[in-house]
Amino acid sequence: MADDNTASHRRDPIKSSVANVAGQRRRQQAVSVGKERRESLVRAKRLCRVGISGDSDDTVDSEMIIDEEQSILEAQTSSAVEGLKSVVAYQGKGALQKRVSALHELRRLLSRSEFPPVEAALKAGAIPLLVQCLSFGSPDEQLLEAAWCLTNIAAGKPEETKALLPALPLLIAHLGENGSLPVAEQCAWALGNVAGEGEELRNILLSQGALLPLARMMLPNKGSTVRTAAWALSNLIKGPNPKAATELIRVDGLLDALVRHLRKADDELATEVAWVVVYLSALSNLATSMLVKSDVLQLLVQRLAMSNSLQLLIPVLRSLGNLIAGDSQTTQAVIVPGHEITGNIIEVLVKCLNSEHRVLKKEAAWVLSNIAAGSVEHKQLIYSSEAVPVLLRLLSTAPFDIRKEVAYVLGNLCVSPISPTEGDGKPSLILEHLVSLVGRGCLAGFIDLVNLADTEAARLGLQFTELVLRGMPNGEGPKLVEKENGIDAMERFQFHENEDLRNMANSLVDKYFGEDYGLDE
Amino acid sequence: MEVTQVLLNAQSIDGAVRNHAEESLKQFQEQDLSSFLLSLSRELANEEKPVESRKLAGLILKNALDAKEQPRKLELVQRWLALETSVKAQIKMFLLQILTSPVADARSTTSQVIAKVAGIELPMKQWPELIGSLLSNIHQLPAHVKQATLETLGYLCEEISSDVVDQDQVNKILTAVVQGMNATEGNNDVRLAATRALYNAVSFIQANFSNDMERDYIMRVVCEATMSPEVKIRQAAFECLVSISSSYYEKLAPYIQDIFSITAKAVREDQEPVALQAIEFWSSICDEEIDILDDYVGDFSGDSDIPCFYFIKQAIPALVPMLLDTLLKQEDDQEEDGAWNIAMAGGTCLGLVARTVGDDIVPLVMPFIEENITKPDWRQREAATYAFGSILEGPSPNKLTSIVNVAMTFMLSALTKDPNNHVKDTTAWTLGRIFEFLHGSTMDTPIITPANCQQIITVLLQSMKDVPNVAEKACGALYFLAQGYEDFGPSSPIAPFFQEIVQALLTVTHRPDAGESRLRTAAYEALNEVVRCSTDETAPMVLQLVPVIMIELHQTLEAQQLASDEKERQSELQGLLCGCLQVIIQKLGSSEPTKYVFMPYADQIMGLFLRVFACRSATVHEEAMLAIGALAYTSGPDFAKYLPEFYKYLEMGLQNFEEYQICAVTVGVVGDICRAVEDKILPYCDGIMTQLLKDLSSNQLHRSVKPPIFSCFGDIALAIGENFDKYLMYAMPMIQSAAEMSAHTASADDVMTEYTNSLRNGILEAYSGIFQGFKNSPKTQVLITYAPHILQFLDSLYKRKDMDEVVMKTAIGVLGDLADTLGNNAGSLIQQSQSCRDFLNECLSSEDNLIKESAEWAKMAISRAISV
Repeated sequence: MADDNTASHRRDPIKSSVANVAGQRRRQQAVSVGKERRESLVRAKRLCRVGISGDSDDTVDSEMIIDEEQSILEAQTSSAVEGLKSVVAYQGKGALQKRVSALHELRRLLSRSEFPPVEAALKAGAIPLLVQCLSFGSPDEQLLEAAWCLTNIAAGKPEETKALLPALPLLIAHLGENGSLPVAEQCAWALGNVAGEGEELRNILLSQGALLPLARMMLPNKGSTVRTAAWALSNLIKGPNPKAATELIRVDGLLDALVRHLRKADDELATEVAWVVVYLSALSNLATSMLVKSDVLQLLVQRLAMSNSLQLLIPVLRSLGNLIAGDSQTTQAVIVPGHEITGNIIEVLVKCLNSEHRVLKKEAAWVLSNIAAGSVEHKQLIYSSEAVPVLLRLLSTAPFDIRKEVAYVLGNLCVSPISPTEGDGKPSLILEHLVSLVGRGCLAGFIDLVNLADTEAARLGLQFTELVLRGMPNGEGPKLVEKENGIDAMERFQFHENEDLRNMANSLVDKYFGEDYGLDE
Repeated sequence: MEVTQVLLNAQSIDGAVRNHAEESLKQFQEQDLSSFLLSLSRELANEEKPVESRKLAGLILKNALDAKEQPRKLELVQRWLALETSVKAQIKMFLLQILTSPVADARSTTSQVIAKVAGIELPMKQWPELIGSLLSNIHQLPAHVKQATLETLGYLCEEISSDVVDQDQVNKILTAVVQGMNATEGNNDVRLAATRALYNAVSFIQANFSNDMERDYIMRVVCEATMSPEVKIRQAAFECLVSISSSYYEKLAPYIQDIFSITAKAVREDQEPVALQAIEFWSSICDEEIDILDDYVGDFSGDSDIPCFYFIKQAIPALVPMLLDTLLKQEDDQEEDGAWNIAMAGGTCLGLVARTVGDDIVPLVMPFIEENITKPDWRQREAATYAFGSILEGPSPNKLTSIVNVAMTFMLSALTKDPNNHVKDTTAWTLGRIFEFLHGSTMDTPIITPANCQQIITVLLQSMKDVPNVAEKACGALYFLAQGYEDFGPSSPIAPFFQEIVQALLTVTHRPDAGESRLRTAAYEALNEVVRCSTDETAPMVLQLVPVIMIELHQTLEAQQLASDEKERQSELQGLLCGCLQVIIQKLGSSEPTKYVFMPYADQIMGLFLRVFACRSATVHEEAMLAIGALAYTSGPDFAKYLPEFYKYLEMGLQNFEEYQICAVTVGVVGDICRAVEDKILPYCDGIMTQLLKDLSSNQLHRSVKPPIFSCFGDIALAIGENFDKYLMYAMPMIQSAAEMSAHTASADDVMTEYTNSLRNGILEAYSGIFQGFKNSPKTQVLITYAPHILQFLDSLYKRKDMDEVVMKTAIGVLGDLADTLGNNAGSLIQQSQSCRDFLNECLSSEDNLIKESAEWAKMAISRAISV
């Protein structure tokens, strides 16, 4: 036993079979391949987030500039492109690693400053090299870095964005389902930048087939991918040609995906998805009618009720407005007074009217005005809601553009829906509403509008003044108008260049404040 | 219970009897540990009992006190400590009494048991009288008592650290041992026991070794013992020198001259076991100097804790000729793989010397080669070739290239024409070494040129028809030849021969004698390497290989009703074929066009793998598991369709903690599958997580599997995102306690430091995966409670300053992930931590690009978290 224990330890002979080491090496290789893949997955996820969130956050970016003169940065960029040129040609050992780190360096330089040295990169010939790095079968890490470089270049000036033209087919190709998600995401980001540049580039992207693969990226439940795809798509379908929007809504599963994301996603993702809905509903009638039939309306309302994120509320509210304005017949079928959703809509709109943000107030008033243009029941609903006191307050205190939207709502509340039987073009009144609103002091606000230079606002003011003059019982109208300095306001139109307004004002003055006016007293 | 009979039965050749006896022993141990241990020690002490039952009683006692795996060991220690004091006292009394037994085996086993008990009790300040009573034995008259006592002291020194014993007692132990070793000790058994005791006590006597006078004395006694007339004593004394050389390298300078003379004499004249140890002394010095010189080059400081004394460089004028002489002492049948004799040890040492001194060795070896390479005696030709092959790693390519260019033609011709198999074997091996160290895309001057490439390949393929050992070495040479063309460029010089090479290798695998000399394995591994390093131009031929290997694998599955040794052979062959498919799948899966053409085979291949698993009942085939990992990556989301059938084997692999490599490979495959199918793995996660958590809490699982398990948590969280939430309450406490442990482990040695860092990395990868998985989910809130602990962990890592680069990169990434996912919830926590900011700044200014990149990202994530 003692002998076993002290048996001399023996080293491996130098001359041994390859069979001893090879299997072990294969095993280690499998482990290290797994490690590399894990790392590149994690890394890619982070890289993309930086790319994606970086642009809204200038404060952070500017912190990253480390006292570098622009000229130095440009020189570094040129030499980074040169470096890339030489490693792209190199095929020897570690070629991949060299390419990736050259790309990485260039990308770093391009991300460094608020004024990225895009021009220097382009001059040095970066685009053809980057296109080469995007070729099929390239490893993900390389694709990712190249796409990121292009993303940053695309964020430059319009001519600089156009320089990406040769890269577009490959960027689109890498959106495909077979590649890695982080790569697809980065490509989507680059394409989104291109699409955002203008109609011409949008049309090129559409003709090259960017729409379908981007739309497919919306289908799974991968948060950051969907967000980027949604952002890129909203840039792509901006129009003005509605064709792309219509095409998008026809993509199999897309509508379901929109509904799903609006239902489940966090605010950040929902924001980008809502922007897609904004452009769909603004441009395409087909899209609007499909959206209205889905759960989208309901979800938008829920989002408005739940969220406090301005970034999210804006597109959601605008989508809601687009849908309500766009397809009045369907809307009438959905937003039926007495339905739960209708009450909810009014409630969230009031919430928006009460918000701090001017944009929200304006959009909310606009949506309300569209509802107020509906049936008598719709008008009654708004009239008896929390909205009215808020609207009245806004009419006297809010900035001009909000006041105008508010005036539309209040005005609409006081007139019946236009029915074909009435021939004189003058809408009939809802007297109860008019009397009550005037009683609560809204006339002054309308007269103010008459005083404004904006013809649309002035017309609104005049129209309402006409209602008051015509409708207030016991001939009180003219007195009220006079009291609010309405006569002066209208007389200013005596020689106004806009004929319509001039006639309207003059006839009102003639009719209600003619020679007989005041004789009773 | 009649313990004697049971102990004898437990050694019966009849399996049934043996099993029954082992079962009753186990039951006895579990039911009543006290009386179990008592009756074993009584058995061991009883001079009436047969020696076989006494020996086994001792062995079981020893195993009841110690185990290899740390958790199991702790458990045994606790159980011993919990025994009643009177029981332990009785057992210890028996043990000490046995040291005086006339039966050598009983004494020897008891020595080890005593050392184990001492290993538990001395650190707890128990059994204080032990060393005193052992030392008093030394002065007893019967030599066998003295011998047993010295043996016990040796094991004791090996078992415990010197700081749990008073230096006074250390001195006394050492004195007793050295006295026993002295030439004046007349009894050889005592002297041998003392010499072996010193071997075991080498690191125990550190304090004494730092004292010049004491060290001089010890060294003198050891050197004298190397000249004892008794061969076993000489061998044991050289073993002491080997152990001293690695423990006290920096103290050897005054003795190295004398040691050289002693070793040279032993190598030249002494019997083989002694000569082998003498050579080993120099190999061990090489190990030390290679490490130190590595540190010189590797470290920024250009420094090592221990200075290099360049013993080897000074010794080579005499050392190299001595080693060259050993090469001529071949055995006639040494081609067996792993054979170990003087020639093998000498060549191995020569290789280490070459790595230590580099270019300087070449002029010392060349004359020997030139003189012997053409001699009629095969021993001279073989020794010359072996010498050449041994020195190819170490010297600069510049120094070797011109020599190799001349030698190449000679070698190629020897490989075909030499009449002796030993010479051909070593020649093929040397060619392999040439390709391994001097051929590759980083070399300035290529060894293989268009002019000789074809000839080299022709000769190697020809040699594959030679006797198995030569053919095996030729496969090895081809392996390294192919490897050198990795990263060579779009077109490989061996592409034109691809078909021919593959055909030749497949033919080798079918040789009826391919089972000898590991020929079949070498052929498949060479094939794998040829495939792995191949280029696009030969992709169609790699694809053609798929059905070929599949058919071979299919055939192994058709064989019915095998005897157990055939079954083992079948399983080995399946392993080789699965390994080959693993490499092929990896290759074809690495680019889109080849993946596309490969995928139609995926279903069938998976079917075969599943059948390979089904061949076995209890264990999982490791190679098949590895291959499945490759298939998962290549198939991507499509792999989900195999999960219902494959899952049970996955689970089986995760349960296999006895064969921990299988468990480790399976854990890796879980990660591969997560990345491939993403959230489609969800239905299986309950089972997988349960198993992984079990593994982590198991005492039996080898610790090396634990870091990958943590990383695997991260993989799963990345794949299933917020759905991971239900595992948090189980996984997080495990991760946290491992984090705590890894943050506070004192790094005893390099191995421990490396392990600790790999554990930290696994933990951090788990955190990263979980944070990233939860990002953008409404459930991120649940992670907030863990944030303070994680930040604390990062803090303590930063403050300890013993992270390696990999951990640093992962750690700063976790900081970013935490900020990114938790947003402003974490902002204030991070802002409060000064060390987080310091850590970030340090990483931002790191030289390492990957660390810097992670840090830049973390900075961005943090500023966003704070600004919101």
